[in-house]
Amino acid sequence: MSSSATSCIQTLSSILSAVPSSVSSSSNPSFSLLHDPTVSAEISSLLRHPDSGSGDNNLCRWLYDTFYSTDPELKLVVLRYVPIIAGVYLTRIALRKSLAGFEAILLALYAHETTARDGQPVSVNVPDLSQPSIYHDAKGSVKNKTTELNLAVISPTLEPHGTMRSSRRARIVGVALELYYTKISQMPARSKVEFCEFCDIWAAGVKNERRIPLPWELLQPSLRILGHCLLGSHNSKELFEAASSATVSLYRRSLHDIDAKAILATGSLLRLEKMASDPKLSVDHTEIDMSNVLSL
Amino acid sequence: MLCACSGEQFKFEDAPQSPESLATRDFSASGLSSRTGEWESKLDDVQVDEAESTLKEALSLNYEEARALLGRLEYQRGNFDAALQVFQGIDIKGLTPRMTRAIVERTRQRKPRSKGDIISSSVMSMHSVSLLLEAILLKAKSLEELGHFRDAAKECNIILEVVEAAFPNGMHEGIAEDCKLQEMFHKALELLPNLWKKAGFLSEAITAYRRVLVKPWNLDPLRKANVQKDLAATLLYGGVETSLPAHLQVWGSATPNGNMEEAILLLLILMQKVAYGEIEWDADVMDHLTFAFTVTGQFELLASFVEQALPGIYERANRWYLLALCYAAAGQNEVALNLLKKVSGQSEAKHKPHIPALLFGAKLSSQDAKHAHHGITFARNVIDLADQVNEHFKGQAHKFLGVCYGNAARISISDSERALFQKESLASLNSAALNMKEDPELVFNLSFENAVQRNLDVAFENAMAYSNMVSEDSGRGWRLLALILSADRRFRDAETILEFSLDEVGSLDQLELLRLRAVLQIAQEQPKEAIETYRILLSLIQAQREPQSNNSESAKNSDLENVAERKIEMAAWQDLAAIYTKVGSWRDAEICVNKAKSVELYSPKSWHTSGLLFEAQSLYKEALVSFSIALSIEPDYVPSIVSTAIVLIQLGSQSSLPIARSFLMNALRLEPTNHDAWMNLGLISKLEGSLEQAAEYFQAAYELEMSAPVEAFK
Repeated sequence: MSSSATSCIQTLSSILSAVPSSVSSSSNPSFSLLHDPTVSAEISSLLRHPDSGSGDNNLCRWLYDTFYSTDPELKLVVLRYVPIIAGVYLTRIALRKSLAGFEAILLALYAHETTARDGQPVSVNVPDLSQPSIYHDAKGSVKNKTTELNLAVISPTLEPHGTMRSSRRARIVGVALELYYTKISQMPARSKVEFCEFCDIWAAGVKNERRIPLPWELLQPSLRILGHCLLGSHNSKELFEAASSATVSLYRRSLHDIDAKAILATGSLLRLEKMASDPKLSVDHTEIDMSNVLSL
Repeated sequence: MLCACSGEQFKFEDAPQSPESLATRDFSASGLSSRTGEWESKLDDVQVDEAESTLKEALSLNYEEARALLGRLEYQRGNFDAALQVFQGIDIKGLTPRMTRAIVERTRQRKPRSKGDIISSSVMSMHSVSLLLEAILLKAKSLEELGHFRDAAKECNIILEVVEAAFPNGMHEGIAEDCKLQEMFHKALELLPNLWKKAGFLSEAITAYRRVLVKPWNLDPLRKANVQKDLAATLLYGGVETSLPAHLQVWGSATPNGNMEEAILLLLILMQKVAYGEIEWDADVMDHLTFAFTVTGQFELLASFVEQALPGIYERANRWYLLALCYAAAGQNEVALNLLKKVSGQSEAKHKPHIPALLFGAKLSSQDAKHAHHGITFARNVIDLADQVNEHFKGQAHKFLGVCYGNAARISISDSERALFQKESLASLNSAALNMKEDPELVFNLSFENAVQRNLDVAFENAMAYSNMVSEDSGRGWRLLALILSADRRFRDAETILEFSLDEVGSLDQLELLRLRAVLQIAQEQPKEAIETYRILLSLIQAQREPQSNNSESAKNSDLENVAERKIEMAAWQDLAAIYTKVGSWRDAEICVNKAKSVELYSPKSWHTSGLLFEAQSLYKEALVSFSIALSIEPDYVPSIVSTAIVLIQLGSQSSLPIARSFLMNALRLEPTNHDAWMNLGLISKLEGSLEQAAEYFQAAYELEMSAPVEAFK
């Protein structure tokens, strides 16, 4: 049992009303902490509290310290709350409250990514089909020229930022979301549902609050996460429905803003969602042909 | 009599004679009749005693085969538990090596009638193998029905292992064609990844998909394409990075590096199959591709695929709209606009109007003054479709209309037309404001348009509202606010705004605002402070250019940002030259002008600044040359037109005055609010003796100067 996990849970007990014994005495406390529904519900609720993001908020402090622990499993625990932190943070900007607590966490996540990427952008190479690959033979003669790399940048190089400024906000939050996405397969479904719910809020706004600006730096990582929630995980109906709703909201928002990139991306997700939710449209080739049924 | 193995009905010439068990009778009957071809070939190829021992061998397999048949029965009836129980009795593990061997032996290319080529009696028949494979498959499917996905996957895997062991390099065409082996195997290939997905093991699912695709298994092209599509989707959305195993990484630079690359490779292959007619157009594939390319910013490539689609897949107007979206997203607004014009063109006259395309056209047009009139057409089209458009889009249309009218006014050559456009512009913007008060864009445009038309109070209110509304991208709001304040002669307030905003904005905006601060200082006759501000500005630019130690190839700024930065640098040198000219430091001024020209030679302002420098030194001929170079670069560059006139007035000869006047009138046609032009017209009138007219001109010049911003609203 890692000592950082123990001390981490101890501190948490002083912030929450109760930490269940199933977590504190578990053989894998980080894992339990990540998945325990009681703890998650309480932390989520505290994060949504009106004054939750201020600089002296002890939950924010705990999250910040936990992220810097040496146990990578504990980092996952903090990541689990990125949707709520990002969501509440962005909706409160317009209210001009002090949000130093949230900003500290977001900057910590950003700094982690900056170090991890070591000045390199995240890019992929768009393959040239004239060269054969594991999945195809090249049609026609194979030209032996060296293939030029066609690099597509998914996330540009990160500049180190120590403070939050309005001009960097979208990028910093976006990078936090990118980090969340790299670990998304380990995130509990509830966390992903929270993300989808926040997409709804960001897109449409709540009655008296303004909509949040959705620049591409924020939207692009959000769409990758949403794509996973919609089409990647197969087992949670709740998640699929939340993701469907979020997709529709973001699509409407992109039409409202007449934002070309967003229209293209959300439009494709919307069409895929329709295909995924209509079982009649999918063909299962593995069905045994039951037409020659025996009757003895 | 039904043959339980193949489920087909057979008629037998004679009733079976032996009183042995049902299974035995079935087997011999089916062995005789269902696979007559195989039986006959057995008789041809193999010695008779061989045939006998095959049968004996066959009899000893009865137990497993009986179980297989019974299990299948239970499965078909939906009794999955019972089916499982039956299947559990088959010792699969023990049989697998024999099954593999059987497959190897029986599918070897047969050399014709070679004596040494005897298939041993202990080798299972293909029929048995198929039966057993089917049993394993049904076992897996039963487990699946009962929700034990992981166990199902493990069972299914056995089938793959058996066949893969027999065919390490894949199956060629013609092998094992006429028995159910291939069919069972294909079903297993397709089932396994789905089972892993249901079990929640995406990594294993991806590995299973890859197994289907990397070797040839005679899979029907359509089914293979579906597997490729499913793998691409799992890679794109699964969120689990599963790297390729080492033995597949031998393709060097063509090895996909990461899930996204692999997904894109598969999708491109599928689109190539569509292009070659090997498979039908699949909207899903296109949607996956759209998603992948938008996330990776490959909009032009995406456009090429939209173009490749055969006619009929997209509705024509919709295709143009999609293409326009792609090209606009790629930053090619001109191309996008051309496509959108087609949407509202003649060929679409009989079709329902494509409102999103029209609106998009209006938006793109509003971003560049030269498209002002097209924008007006687009926007009016939307507004005219009143009942088909919802309130919000109507508001947007009015907004774009207002912006386009404003732009049209600025490029107009007729005074009356300009006045009309300006009126329409404000009317449209105000009409939009009825629906969309909360839209920051609209508020900014209201401020801007009012500022240009010198309605400074309204402009100020809106500029303040805009700055309060937005926290991101606020640079242009602060700039406009500062300019409006400067037009109102509230220089101190303007400087305060700039101080505040410099902390908030990004680096490029910072440079802009610093320059504006310097311009304000010049306007307040503080050349020393201005020079200091420029020094700071230029050193900031220099610092940003410094190669960073940890940035190898990636540029810090985008291309657009680099261009903008250079523009500001050049402007800074030009302004410095003007300051030095004013205070009489000719050398310094010349150095600055040359620096400006080294950034960009073909800048009218740089030559204009040279001209001013010559003029200040009373070198009128050289000044005229510089001004005419500026005008040859940009014929409508108003400052040079005015300055030419001023020099002509200086030269003083009788014939030069009318020429000077015509220059000034030209300038006023382009920029009616240019107070320098009015003033010099006054001077000319005075020199010609029309004092009353001169007084009127001076009055106009004075009033305009009193409400002029330190720099044009842009």
